[in-house]
Amino acid sequence: MKKTWTIIGIIALVAVIVFVWFKNVYNGMVAGEESVSAAWAQVENVYQRRADLIPNLVATVKGYAAHEASTLESVVSARAKATQITVDADDLSPEDIAKFNQAQGELSAALGKLLSITENYPDLKANENFRDLQAQLEGTENRIATERMKFNDTAREYNTNIRKFPNNIVASLFDFEPKGYFEAKEGADVAPVVEF
Amino acid sequence: MRTVRKRISTALISIGAVLTFICAVSLPCEGIPSKPVPPRLVNDYASILTPGQQSNLEQKLVAFSDSTSNQIAVVIVNDLEGYESIEYATRIGIDWGVGGSNYNNGIVVVVKVKTERESGDVAIAVGYGLEGAIPDVYAKRIQTEIMVPHFKNGEYYEAINEACDALIELANGEYGRMEQEEGDDIGLIIFILMFALVIVVIVVIAFLGKGNGNSGDGPDGSGGSGGKDPDTIYIPGAHPRTIYKPRGGSLGGFGGGSFGGGSFGGGGGFGGFGGGSFGGGGASTKW
Repeated sequence: MKKTWTIIGIIALVAVIVFVWFKNVYNGMVAGEESVSAAWAQVENVYQRRADLIPNLVATVKGYAAHEASTLESVVSARAKATQITVDADDLSPEDIAKFNQAQGELSAALGKLLSITENYPDLKANENFRDLQAQLEGTENRIATERMKFNDTAREYNTNIRKFPNNIVASLFDFEPKGYFEAKEGADVAPVVEF
Repeated sequence: MRTVRKRISTALISIGAVLTFICAVSLPCEGIPSKPVPPRLVNDYASILTPGQQSNLEQKLVAFSDSTSNQIAVVIVNDLEGYESIEYATRIGIDWGVGGSNYNNGIVVVVKVKTERESGDVAIAVGYGLEGAIPDVYAKRIQTEIMVPHFKNGEYYEAINEACDALIELANGEYGRMEQEEGDDIGLIIFILMFALVIVVIVVIAFLGKGNGNSGDGPDGSGGSGGKDPDTIYIPGAHPRTIYKPRGGSLGGFGGGSFGGGSFGGGGGFGGFGGGSFGGGGASTKW
């Protein structure tokens, strides 16, 4: 009789331990997923900030360099394309992030080209409005770099957590999918071409 | 024999994996100077300021930190280790935790000294909480209108000093010290209450254990409570008492700040960085 009670006690104890472990792992994953979503919201925020600056920048440059129409046009269309791509913050699959990164990268390239041609217009460069816009744009680019770094760190922590044993069992039971990263800096993966 | 070997190799692999993970986590920013010990606000790694200038500036910034809780850290280097200056400043801000964690009200001023071959570079990184008080455009103007003209004359101290004055003026009134302290006090009270509760529980357990007649076995009888190391101290003429020491770090980790008072140049020491975060705001200028 005493033996049965001992066995029941041990089973109950094991059940409690398993439950507590399970709860901790599961809740840890939920919290991790939430912080990845939060980091993503910050990333979208700073990209939106850049998108909001562009119309003003284009208008200012147009006033001084109207005949650079093609460059201006490419910035406007790249912006339109980039703002169309939205990523579901609950999903954040590697494919989604790659697509988002691609579109934003094209906008970065178009913007870079626009800023490089402004070097040829001393009047524009002396314009205070333009200088302020440029400072804001630089600040925004740095914000983008910072938030991308933070997002990658958060996503990496989460991915490591769901892939570790035995957490991976819980993760596959409840469909916790690994999140995507921002791969390298836009264009940084392309080796520069040196011509002689 | 084979299984033992297999087990050992699995254990070694997992230890290796854990070590790699720890290294990857604890070394987030390669090339960024580590947090100064004892904590200082003025960090002149290029030795461009005289000791007097350094302590003047330090005193001013410590006073500002004490009165408003806003922290301005100044870092002067010879080399940016391949980073953009604003990126370097942002990473220092995140890494060192400049500013309080409640308000993220830190500022990092990084100056890369001009050399014959390389141009000088200055960056002001602004924490999340001060982005409203110091927009990028203002940070840029401080650089182009105050700092660069001085830098061009080689007047590093004047440039940094006047920039700090301008930043102090902009950031002043954004956050007050009283609010900050209140927040800390609540945390401290909760911590003390929880600590007292833990001690009470331990005493009760020890008392009950004694009542059951288990006391003869010494420290063994009360083992097994997670995370605590029982240290038994025998006092002559008294009952053996068990003292629990929290395992390394659980006390030190509280509040995130390190305490390094007094050791700096006579003036009231700097209490430590508060764990503020940065989102990349600010500006940079080359000259």
